[in-house]
Amino acid sequence: MNSLDIPRTFFTRMDARDANGVLALVTPHAQVTLVPLNLQGDAEDVGRRYFEQLASAFPDLSVRVRRLFVGNDNTAVAEITIAGTQAADFFGIINQEKLMDLDQVWFLHMNDGIIDRIKAYWCQNRLYRRLGVKRLDHVTITG
Amino acid sequence: MSVTSIPGAVEVVAAFFDAYRHQDVECMVELCTDNADLHYVPFELWGRQRVIRGDGKVRTIGKVIWTTLIDSFPDITNEIIYITSDDQGNVASEVMISGIQAKPFGMMGSQGLHFALPHVFLFRVSQEGLIEEVTAYWDSAAWQRQLGWLEVD
Repeated sequence: MNSLDIPRTFFTRMDARDANGVLALVTPHAQVTLVPLNLQGDAEDVGRRYFEQLASAFPDLSVRVRRLFVGNDNTAVAEITIAGTQAADFFGIINQEKLMDLDQVWFLHMNDGIIDRIKAYWCQNRLYRRLGVKRLDHVTITG
Repeated sequence: MSVTSIPGAVEVVAAFFDAYRHQDVECMVELCTDNADLHYVPFELWGRQRVIRGDGKVRTIGKVIWTTLIDSFPDITNEIIYITSDDQGNVASEVMISGIQAKPFGMMGSQGLHFALPHVFLFRVSQEGLIEEVTAYWDSAAWQRQLGWLEVD
C-alpha cells in the first residue's frame, strides 16, 4: 500500500459520511486535536464525535482533497475543502439551513499502516460567517 | 527535522521565520521567488470600499500583510512548533505567532491585548532553494477573541 493510500482512503470515507470507515483507519486511542474547536482526546471519543456530527449535520457533505503529501516523518499533510448544507446543529451552531464551504488542513501521522495521531486546523470564524453566527460570544443565538 | 533532496528546504523555511521574527520583511521576500504565490486562507480585511483577501503574490499582497501586521503588533514574534517535509520541496510547519496589539488591524481596534495563535504554514520550495508558494491557516475566531473583538464580521 502506497503511503498516500491511507490518507486518500481517510478522506474518501469522510466524503461518504462513513464515520466507522474513517475510524477503522485510526487506532482507538490515537490523539485527535481539533484546534478551532479546542477539542483534544481519543479517536474513539473526540474523533467519533466530530465525524458523526459532521455527517449528521451536513447530509450532502462533500470532501475534496486539494493537496496531499507525506512528510519524511510519515505525517500526511492534506489541504481539503468540506462543503454542505446544514441540516442539524453542529458543535453548538444552530441550524439555519445555510450552505457552508470551509478550507481545512489535516495532519495524519501514520505508523505501521494505521493512523495514530490527528490534528486539524481551519478558520472557525469563516464557518460561523457561512452558518449565520453573528457574534463570537453568542454562537448559539441567531439573528 | 527531516532531510530532503531539495537542498535546504527546511532550512529556507526556518530562515523565513527567522526573518519574520526579526521583522525583516525584505529578507522574507528575498527568500521567495519573484513570482511566489501567497494564500493566507482565512484572511479577509473588510475596508469601506472593498474586501482585501489573502490571495495573491508574496511581493504584493504578502509584503503588505506582513508590513501591516508588524506595524499593528510591533513586538510580533514566532516559534516553530513542528516542521516536516518531503523530497519534492513540500514543507509543512506549525508555528505559534504572538504579540501585543498597538494599533488597529483591519476592523479590529486596538485594546492593547496580547495574542498567541497557532498557525499552519505550508510551503513549496524550488530546486534552487527559494520559496515558490506560501499558504497559511489559522483560526480568526480565536484571534479575535484574544484581541477583544467579538463581531463575526
